[in-house]
Amino acid sequence: MTTGNERTLAAVHELVAARSKGAFVSATQPHADTLHFVVDRSAIRSVADGLVQQLGARFLISVGTDRRPLSGDFGIAHFFSLDGEHLYLVVESPIPEDDLRIDSITPVVPGADWAEREFQDAVGVRAEGHPDPRRLLLPDDWPEGLHPLRRDFPYNFRPPLAEKRQPEMREAPTGATVLPMGPFFPVLEEPAYWRLFVEGETIVGCDTRLFYNHRGIEKLGDSVLTYNEIPSLAERICGICGFIHSTCYCQAVEKAAGIEVPRRARYIRTIMLELERIHSHLLWLGIAGHIIGFETVLMQTWRIREPIMWLCEAISGNRKTYGMNTVGGLRRDLPNDVGPELLKTLAGVEKESIAVRDAIIGDSVLRARTEAVGKITKESARSVCIVGPPARASGVAIDARIDHPYAAYDEVPPRVVTQDAGDTWARVVVRVGELVESIRLVREALAALPEGPICAEIKNDIPPGRIGISVVEAPRGEAIHVVMTGGDNRPYRWRVRAPTYANLQAMPAAVVGGTIADVPITLGSLDPCFSCTERLETVDRRTGAVRVYGHAELLEMSRSRDVRGGAR
Amino acid sequence: MTHWMSVLLSCALNVGIALLLSPLVEGILRKIRAAIHSRIGPPVTQPYWDLLKLLGKEELRSTGGAVYASLPALTLASVLLLATLAPMGGAAPLSFAGDMIVVLYVAAMGAVLIILCGFSSGSPYAYVGSSREMMMALSVEPTLAIALSVGAFKAKSLALGSMTAFQVENGPSISMAIAGIAFFVALQAQAGKLPFDIAEADQEIMGGPLVEQSGPRLALLRWAIWARQLVLAFLLVEVFLPWPRFGVLPFDLLASAVKVLVVLVIVALVDVVNPRVRIDQAMGFFMRVAISSLAALAFAVIGK
Repeated sequence: MTTGNERTLAAVHELVAARSKGAFVSATQPHADTLHFVVDRSAIRSVADGLVQQLGARFLISVGTDRRPLSGDFGIAHFFSLDGEHLYLVVESPIPEDDLRIDSITPVVPGADWAEREFQDAVGVRAEGHPDPRRLLLPDDWPEGLHPLRRDFPYNFRPPLAEKRQPEMREAPTGATVLPMGPFFPVLEEPAYWRLFVEGETIVGCDTRLFYNHRGIEKLGDSVLTYNEIPSLAERICGICGFIHSTCYCQAVEKAAGIEVPRRARYIRTIMLELERIHSHLLWLGIAGHIIGFETVLMQTWRIREPIMWLCEAISGNRKTYGMNTVGGLRRDLPNDVGPELLKTLAGVEKESIAVRDAIIGDSVLRARTEAVGKITKESARSVCIVGPPARASGVAIDARIDHPYAAYDEVPPRVVTQDAGDTWARVVVRVGELVESIRLVREALAALPEGPICAEIKNDIPPGRIGISVVEAPRGEAIHVVMTGGDNRPYRWRVRAPTYANLQAMPAAVVGGTIADVPITLGSLDPCFSCTERLETVDRRTGAVRVYGHAELLEMSRSRDVRGGAR
Repeated sequence: MTHWMSVLLSCALNVGIALLLSPLVEGILRKIRAAIHSRIGPPVTQPYWDLLKLLGKEELRSTGGAVYASLPALTLASVLLLATLAPMGGAAPLSFAGDMIVVLYVAAMGAVLIILCGFSSGSPYAYVGSSREMMMALSVEPTLAIALSVGAFKAKSLALGSMTAFQVENGPSISMAIAGIAFFVALQAQAGKLPFDIAEADQEIMGGPLVEQSGPRLALLRWAIWARQLVLAFLLVEVFLPWPRFGVLPFDLLASAVKVLVVLVIVALVDVVNPRVRIDQAMGFFMRVAISSLAALAFAVIGK
């Protein structure tokens, strides 16, 4: 792998310097694959525009940090990826405490929409010129001027009770009626409010309100837990791709601290990540079938999926939430005799998956039902910065396993499956292709599994002030974890971006012009995972009070037979 | 006197079959679905327990009004009326009161009542569901009408009994085979089965016209839908597949029941191997079915 050859590095430097002119502050290269620029906030929009338009960089995420205890200001950092060059670009601007605003980059980088609204809510830095500056993740009754990710906001603070409020939603255009989908709706496994504007059966517009289930995860990470406790929490970000989040977090810390993970651990991570993709894609296929009333697909794919879950249980002791990752490697090796069982299960799953794939590819009714539905063009996929199978189905050949190789993917690279149509059918085809490809990858990784230690020995404390960025190709797309190391044996800032966060932003454009019948399957074809996307606060719905449960309390609750006082 | 007695008895028989056996048939269909899903599935008697449970619940209404309150009962009543007008094993009990035209109207009545139920329940999902149900009814009715007209043309009579008699006497024909297939496809939609359960579409509009219905109201509507699929299957079997005919009511009834079960099992099989189509796709499909069933009429004209 060549990371950022000299010419590219020079081109990036030149562009940032030219776009920021007098506002250029500094440029560093904290890691071989990361360039970090500090520019004055006045130039941020111009720099972002240049990176995306001229260099073809892809926007990843924004991170707002309250740095007052360190340097007396706030920091807004935008992260970009130069996929072909295996490079991350970080453009950061200091924001003085007495003037908390920065130019929004959303007008030039539409994919930054939610990311900017999130730092507005979380740390209170206003994105000036944002086209839609409404609240994103704070509850509607949350008091103004209270920003939970500021350092002086205690993790267990309860804001005063507020009066009942409605979400700020857009009104239907004239002639259209509102058809609410959610917050609770049969095909949404988790709460999300899609406000559809319909004329007859045709969708003419759409508005959303999400983030009903914040859990305070990032806040816990930088105020309560320690480096090695966070993997357990990260794994619980999602009930499907837990291992992905714990791996992604560990990799971010490992990169920040310069920890070399043993090769065997990287291979085992690869195997577990691909097993997760296999069972996630089978799960998704079933749900997609269910959404269009094809219950046979649901029942059969979930039956096929089950042996994979048993296999994960044989490996880790759990069907899900394996608890195997730790900073520096793994806490648990593969069982000695798991190889033959793994291969046998894979052979069975492969045979049945191929049968399902062929049945699905050959089903003309299914095809008629999904073709040209929920179309996302290549241009739109690029500008909204969607990731994973939806991006690949729109002809954007990005895959974190290839673009920013991690674990053992540099040695067992996946074959990337792409389609050009950008519709729901293409997303089906991409996922069933990936399913079969993942089975091959597990087999290859197992065959090449080296002997050796599974965890690096970490002798020194992790130094503060370092930055680590890590991506993992989850079944739903690229998950991003950014860790800024701090004192007290915990991150100063930990930022999580789940793939659904990026993909859901493409939803409004994808459904407009379609019919009501197309909405559930279009949403389903993005394979949304709301729990991943929502990370902030726990809110008691009866009182509106925010509460974060402590370790002892959770333990007490889970052990107590009397659950009447449980978390509800 | 005896004539009226026998009419009453045969009405009771048809209504009894429609009411008492339709949950059992639904239970059997659920078992078949389950088998194809690799599931064990609920016991075949489950639909009876479902009805009992729903009937025992509190009645909740989203809006007021005497008409709205009586719609579920009216829907079930319309289906039972259809049962008395349709031949089920023997001749149609009220055949003297109405012919094919009345049957078509009464069959449409059930759908119209469910549509009204949806439109008046005040939910946007029910509204969308009802408009879908209406579009489905409008696209399926012509097929039903053309299919039965083929029988009427051949028998030179609008009475269903004469059509059956003509079929028994003259044996299968190309025109009746095509018309029978068209009727079967229409049955798939009338029974609300995939790929045509568009009006209810749980995952899109949460049950459509039925979304606001619960407890006894839902029980009556479910019962009406199950009974309707059974009565229409009987109609299909009696008009298009009346053989063998023994002339002895218990035997004919048994033979019809077996054929009805076979027809409904095929309906269930089609249901499990298909996803739901969109309303525009379904309407286009039924337009083509209606046009093709005109071919049956053409064959009937040339005596095939």
